[in-house]
Formats: sequence, structure tokens, C-alpha cells
Amino acid sequence: MTDTELDAVYTRLCKTMTQLGEPQAALFLARFALLAIDRIGDADTAQRLVDAAAEDLAAPAAHA
Amino acid sequence: MSYEFAPYPFEARHHPARLPALRDGLEERRHPVVVVGGGPVGYTTALGLASHGVPVVLIEADDSVCFGSRAICISRRSLEIADRLGALPGFLDIGLPWTGGRSFYRDTEVLHFTMPQDENQKLPPMVNLAQYSIEQILLDKAETQPDLIDIRWQTRVTGIEARDDGVRLALSTPDGDYALQADWVVAADGGRSFLRDALGLKLEGTSYEGRYVIVDILLDSDRPTERLAYFDPACNPGSTVLVHKQPGNVWRIDYQLRDGEDPDDAIKPENVMPRVESLLAMMGEKAPWKPIWSGIYKANALTLRSYRHGRVLFAGDAAHLVPIFGVRGANSGIDDADNLAWKLAFVVKGLASNALLDSYSAERVAAARENLSYGTKSTEFMAPPSFAFELMRTAVLGLAKKHPSLSSLINPRQTSAITYAASPLNAAPERSAEFGAGPVPGAVLPECPLTLVDASGTREGHVTDLLGPHFTALYFSADGSLPADLTQLERALGARQVPFKLALLTRRRAEVAPQAWDHTGRVFPLYDALPGTLYLVRPDGHVLGRWRRADAAEALAAIDRALQPQPKRG
Repeated sequence: MTDTELDAVYTRLCKTMTQLGEPQAALFLARFALLAIDRIGDADTAQRLVDAAAEDLAAPAAHA
Repeated sequence: MSYEFAPYPFEARHHPARLPALRDGLEERRHPVVVVGGGPVGYTTALGLASHGVPVVLIEADDSVCFGSRAICISRRSLEIADRLGALPGFLDIGLPWTGGRSFYRDTEVLHFTMPQDENQKLPPMVNLAQYSIEQILLDKAETQPDLIDIRWQTRVTGIEARDDGVRLALSTPDGDYALQADWVVAADGGRSFLRDALGLKLEGTSYEGRYVIVDILLDSDRPTERLAYFDPACNPGSTVLVHKQPGNVWRIDYQLRDGEDPDDAIKPENVMPRVESLLAMMGEKAPWKPIWSGIYKANALTLRSYRHGRVLFAGDAAHLVPIFGVRGANSGIDDADNLAWKLAFVVKGLASNALLDSYSAERVAAARENLSYGTKSTEFMAPPSFAFELMRTAVLGLAKKHPSLSSLINPRQTSAITYAASPLNAAPERSAEFGAGPVPGAVLPECPLTLVDASGTREGHVTDLLGPHFTALYFSADGSLPADLTQLERALGARQVPFKLALLTRRRAEVAPQAWDHTGRVFPLYDALPGTLYLVRPDGHVLGRWRRADAAEALAAIDRALQPQPKRG
């Protein structure tokens, strides 16, 4: 994936989440995570990504 | 508490208004071109026209170059344009060159980016200098050509009457009002363009809500020149702060207002100064500092649908407003001016039909859309327009250090030269497709050192030194020989007064002059050139067409197609 393609996917994700609205954001991201896990298709990789996503999140995020 | 402000390390000259010779309130002389607006875009247009020998009147409402903090970064592409206009030395003497920047999330560095820079380059990817200096450098150059560039200070446009055969402008000065007539008008009168409003034209696109405060300060610091971005910094939690070094110990600081903050309050010194103070403390800057200027900025991503409206041509902020992130404002306007100047000059001189000016609009509207897409991406990161963009940004910033492949999302995507891939002028696509590398039609020339040999001697130079206010045919030769049909082409175009220059690039140094010798052996592969290859380049440095085996007839057809010259009347 090129940087430009990554930009486009990122923007699409942000815009879709904006349209769905904040109350549904967590569910939307959960569904996206499940689809990504399914597509990754490798348990070890998916487990490691779960850990990586949680890393450094122990303290409350500054984002309110 | 009061704050002591320092002046900019620059003193603007003030220029008087002047009235031309009038008859019944109308200027006696009719002008081929009038440029409205004495900013970087207006000056670049005027200098470009003058380089083609076309006289121009430049109308400026103020009595001096601009004041305050506006454009501060000039790109390599803009420097190339300044070079062709003979104004480069000022930019390099004053400007601070830089090649990259760093972004921080809280106290962690999450991105260190560099802009393209290698030993082939003649010019740095970016220099920082204040807009008043940019304007002064261009003004100084314009004032060396008083026979071609007629600058009218303190002159405000109050009305426009645009007809099929010309334009009449109503002008107001402290010394009195008058009207003038022009064949063509270039509207380079800025973001709040009077001419745009007067012609009933509307910018289209998106205005963003996020606001930034801009502060210039005087601070003695030997910190290097680079772009610094602080996301959610300890000194200003929840905000984003940008820092740029400028010449003369001026530092430009941009910081984002928090949601719900009132812009009028935010700009008050008692609110600005503590934030600057805490930023400098966080950066470890201990020297005393003084504020110089502050203002407020709101990102826009807007453009006109067309930049040609009959005999009025729009350029720069009058034509489009791009967000500041990525420094595409002044740079895209300078590119507009460079594209427009040669086309307008050719039309004025009767070398091309008016239709050539439609290609100005087509190419530069496409460029604006590309600039807007990058600028929008940067803005959505720098000033998130919704909770979703903000949430995702927090995720990117938190992950980027351990997952560097995500850090490209933080990259500000600094401006770079645009390729006119869909230009109506691009010639012979099937010939271009035979190349495996090198600039395609519509692209600018990749830079590379050359040894330039002419009657006066030998000197070091670069590919872009071969360009000028003319079409340039770059012919790649093994031994310095030129095919007869190319020298015939040069003669034929010369007989028609079409500015054209044949440049010989040699693989081995030959006993001919002039020639440009590829002494590093890098130019031929960079252009995927064989002996016999031809690149035809427009006066603005964009490739018109290219042939692995030179074809003089097709090269002539490409120029004729671009110019569509009208048959001489009478």
C-alpha cells in the first residue's frame, strides 16, 4: 500500500465514522476490527495486533 | 499587563500615487496587459510578461509591500521560476534553506520527514523568508525594467467593464480617479478579490471551522531551520503548535484554538503571550523574546471553476484558497503566474490564438484540485473537522513511534511540482510511452548537473539553466552532431518569430559550442535518453512532448497544436 493509498483509506474511515455519528463509533470500529481479523486470517498476527493496540493505553487518554 | 512589541527587521519603502496622461478621465494609452495586485503572484506575472518583452501595468492598492506574517516558505519549484526571471539571488541571499521537519506527540518524536534532496539538485527543496521580503525581491527586479513594468501604487480598482474586445477598469487614487483600457486583465488581487466579486464569480469548496493563531516573535536562537509540529504538547494541552524559523531572528508560531475559544479573545496579547512563553520554555529556549505581530487564520479549500473569464484571467488567491498546511498558497500562485505569463505573452504578440489561455485554466484548475486534495488531507490532520478525525489522529499519534509505517499519515505533504497529466497541450502520448523513465509530457524537468560550454567559456550548470522565455528542444547527442531537420526546425520557427532554442546535450564532450555536457553520466539515464532523443519543453519548464528518436515534423506539429496560430489578417 502506498502512502497516498493509506491516506485515502484513513480519510474514508474518518468520513464514514463521522457520518455514522459518535454514538455508533465504537460499534463501527469493533465491526471493522472483526472484518480485519477475519481478513488477516492468522491467529498469531491478530493476537499480536490486539496487544499492540492496547499498549500504552493504561493511562487515560488525553482525548476527552 | 502590557507587552512591548518589536518591529520587523525590515523597513518598507513607501511609494507615491501617480496619474498617467489622461483625456477626459481616461488614460490616453491602451495597454495590452494590466495586472491587478502587487503581491508575489502579480509581480511574478509582470516579470514573466516582461521576460517575453510584453509591457505590463501593475496596479497596487497599498503604498508598499505587505506587512505581517503571510507566506513564509518558498518551494524549489518557485525558486526555479524566480531563477528564470532573474530574481533568484535575493531568495538565496535572504532565505533560510531547509530540508525536513519533526513532529512530536506530547514529548515523543513521532515523525522525522525529509523532502527530496540529492546531489543532482541546484536548489534547496524549501527556503523560509517573509512575504514582505519575497515581494521586495520581486519588486527590486521589476524596478530594473521600468520600460516594461509600470507600477501604480495607491491605486484601487473600483469598477470593471469586461467586454469581448477588452476590459475597462475604473481606478481610484489619492491624486484623483481615472479609467484605463486593456486588452487583457490579470486578477491577482488576493483572497478577497474585488474583481472576482465584481464579475459575480464564486469560489467553491469547503471552509473549515478550526482556527489557528499566528504569532511572529523576535528570538535569538541557533536552533536549525526545520518545520516543528507539536501535537497535544505539555505547554498547550489539546492544541497543535507549528514553529518555523525565518531570517532575522524572526520565529513564526502557529497554534490551534481550542474548541469554543472566542477568536477575538484568543488574539489578545494577554492570551497569546503566556502560550508563547510556555512553548519556548518547553522547547528549552531561554533567550529573551519580543512579540512582533499576531493574527488569526481559518483554513479554506476553495477554487473558482474556471480561471479564464473572457479577457480576465484569475491567478493565486483570487482564483483559489488552499490551506496553509503544506505551504501551497503563495507557491501555487507563483506557479499560476509562470503558466499564465508565457501564454498571455504569446497571445499578445500574435503568436498564439486566445484558446491557449483556456489551457491555462485547464492546467491550473487541475493543479488547484490536486493542491486542495493534499491541503485538505493536511488540514483534516492539523485541525480535525469531526470527532472521528480527532479520534483517529489520537490513534495515529499514539501508535506511530512503535509502528513507523503509520507515521506517513502525520507527514505534512509539503508542496511539490505538479504534473499536468491531462493537459490539452501534451503531445504524442504514444511516443512518450516508448520511454521507461524520465519526465512525461506535462511534467517538469528533473534536475541534474551539466557542464555548459559556449563561446564565452565553460561553467558548471544544471538542466534547468537551459530553459528561458522560449520553447526549448533538448537534443541528446553522442558526439555533438545535430540532425539537419532540427536545425531547419529552428530556422523555420525563427522565421515565424516563435521563441525557440535548440539545446545540445552531449554524452562525450565534443568540439562544438554551445553544448551541455553530461559530465556525470547521470542525465542520459535520468531522461532514459539515447543518442538521438528529443525532449520538447515549454517556456514554463513543463515537457510538451518527447521522442526517443527525434522527429522534427512531429515536434513542429506539437508546437503548432499548442499555439493554434490564427492566420494573419489583412
